[in-house]
Amino acid sequence: MSLEIVLVYQSLLGIYGDQGNAMVLAKRAEWRDIDVRLTQVEPGDELPTDGDIFVIGGGEDGAQTSAVEALRADGNIYRAVDAGAVVFGVCAGYQILGNSFGVGSDDEPRQGLGLLDITSERGPERAVGEILTRWNGRTGDDAWLTGFENHSGYTRLGADAEPLATVEVGVGNGFDGTEGAVQGRVIGTYPHGPVLARNPALADHLLEMALGTELDRLESPEHDILRQQRLAAVRTS
Amino acid sequence: MDAMSSAELDRRATPARFTRAETLRLQTAHAAGSAAALASRLARRGSGASIRGKVMERLDPRSLEKLLQGRRIAMVSGTNGKTTTTHLLAAALRAGLGAAADRLVTNADGANLHYGIASALGQKPDADIAVLETDERVVADVVRMGRPEVMVLLNFSRDQLDRHHEITSMGRAWRDALEAAGADGPVVVASAEEPLIVWACRGARKVIWVDTQSVWNADSALCPECGARIERVEADTDSSTPGRWWCTGCSLAKPTPTWRVSNEVIVDPEGTIWHPKLQVPGQFNVSNAACALAAADLMGVGTSDAIRGMRTVTSPAGRFATATFGDTEARLMLAKNPAGWAEALPILTCDDVVLAIDSVAADGKDVSWLWDVQFEQLVGKNVVVTGPRCGDLSVRLLYAGVEHRVQPDLSQAMRMHSGRIDVLSTYTPFQKLRKLGGLA
Ligand SMILES: [Zn+2]
Repeated sequence: MSLEIVLVYQSLLGIYGDQGNAMVLAKRAEWRDIDVRLTQVEPGDELPTDGDIFVIGGGEDGAQTSAVEALRADGNIYRAVDAGAVVFGVCAGYQILGNSFGVGSDDEPRQGLGLLDITSERGPERAVGEILTRWNGRTGDDAWLTGFENHSGYTRLGADAEPLATVEVGVGNGFDGTEGAVQGRVIGTYPHGPVLARNPALADHLLEMALGTELDRLESPEHDILRQQRLAAVRTS
Repeated sequence: MDAMSSAELDRRATPARFTRAETLRLQTAHAAGSAAALASRLARRGSGASIRGKVMERLDPRSLEKLLQGRRIAMVSGTNGKTTTTHLLAAALRAGLGAAADRLVTNADGANLHYGIASALGQKPDADIAVLETDERVVADVVRMGRPEVMVLLNFSRDQLDRHHEITSMGRAWRDALEAAGADGPVVVASAEEPLIVWACRGARKVIWVDTQSVWNADSALCPECGARIERVEADTDSSTPGRWWCTGCSLAKPTPTWRVSNEVIVDPEGTIWHPKLQVPGQFNVSNAACALAAADLMGVGTSDAIRGMRTVTSPAGRFATATFGDTEARLMLAKNPAGWAEALPILTCDDVVLAIDSVAADGKDVSWLWDVQFEQLVGKNVVVTGPRCGDLSVRLLYAGVEHRVQPDLSQAMRMHSGRIDVLSTYTPFQKLRKLGGLA
């Protein structure tokens, strides 16, 4: 089995350690003896059309606008999605996957990529802090999704998108207690930074979608300690 | 050149002129502040620097402005390295002053906001040369009130991830203050590596550029002037070709530096190569020294005198100091933010290492930056991770392939090695470790 992970525009959308998500995916595949290639693409380079998972991170307003313009001009992300690629966007990277998003003080809506049926606009107050959600359709400890959110945009879901999770602590999409969005193989979520490092089950879910096969569970005390610490911290604060 | 320089150092500042009433008010405020500081020290609540400044400012709101006047001021700011650079520059100027070293005042304890600066100045009213570590947030005020002669801007990165959006507006405040000062403004010594610094310096009357070989540029993807993307070509150390950067949308680009850092040496504007041989470790401290040398030169101290002085600096405000925990000798190093960690990891020389991390406000609540730092370089070392966020660091090390042990409790973690070790820590655990190790 082989897998190509594409880290999209790290220099623009990567200020919150978001490259960690690509590292986590690559390592977790490698640990299962899957032949992995991690490709970094910067604006001006063409996106590969045959990538298996595209990872898009967070960034500031200006960077977000530059990134969406470059992605639309390139166009290959649409070809990749048509060919069955998985797309995973966090924070600003989540918003640009939608139909439109507002940035900055004017909140003038910018056209997004239209891969998720969502619209984002400036919310009443900036959401900053630990977030805990329950992954829809999942059960057990793996269904707790833990992360850190920092965004001023809030998101409404249209008919074609399903929420990824339900908020226990924090803001998430902001309007209705939901968090993130899923539409086919495109997934977006607000918790930035390497949310996949905190939630290995979500990382494995992306890998399984891309590979079309179920993967063995990997045990790791490091993840168990981290998840215990974060769940305890968010529940006592 | 040295002879000419020292003549310049003899130059006195224009004395401040206040009415009798104004002077009296400042003196009363200072006396009250000192009493409060003494009480604070007796109660073991720290050095009292900040409480002294606070009381002074309450009794005389113009105290800082008055205290800044009548002095020749060199100020030092930037996200990382301010404390060490302030110590290096102060030591360089003391070496130049020789027997007259009393003429110098500096806030050596790292108290770098209004109160801390006022407190240091209030204690030496007759010192006519001031070397001031200045927090990024009060740079504009000190430029406006103190009319410094020299201003060192080391670097400018996000101190804390959850405050990232603030750095552009701070850069704008610097630029506005420099522009408003006009011909009375300071000569700026600044790193040529960072677009935001170069942009902020567009307001300055004169800039001495230093090529600091910064290892961190993750915070400058977009042009602060026009918002277009910044392109970079990294330095090639083999052919000693310096790095370059330029904006793809406007004329902002890396200026030509006159001082240069190349590995362990500093090259001055005439092309003379200096070996600083500092006691403080690391490539980044060579860069700090280059900035301090350029500033010392502007204040009137020749480079060989300045270097002689800088070599006496060992442990600025407790950084790099060695503490004892049982049979462990630990060198304590502070890295407050991602750029600081990126700079400090290469100088961990011991095989046994403790990494301590917390996420209260002073450390930054968001530890996502762990994934922007190359922990992979620690492979092969014996690592212990500790502090309230040790779980995050442990997972980061798992993916970096670094074997390690986890011990959340700081004092127990310090007993998991023996002999000489290196300890790298964010702000809050660093302060705790200094206490545990008997240094504070
Ligand atoms: Zn520009």
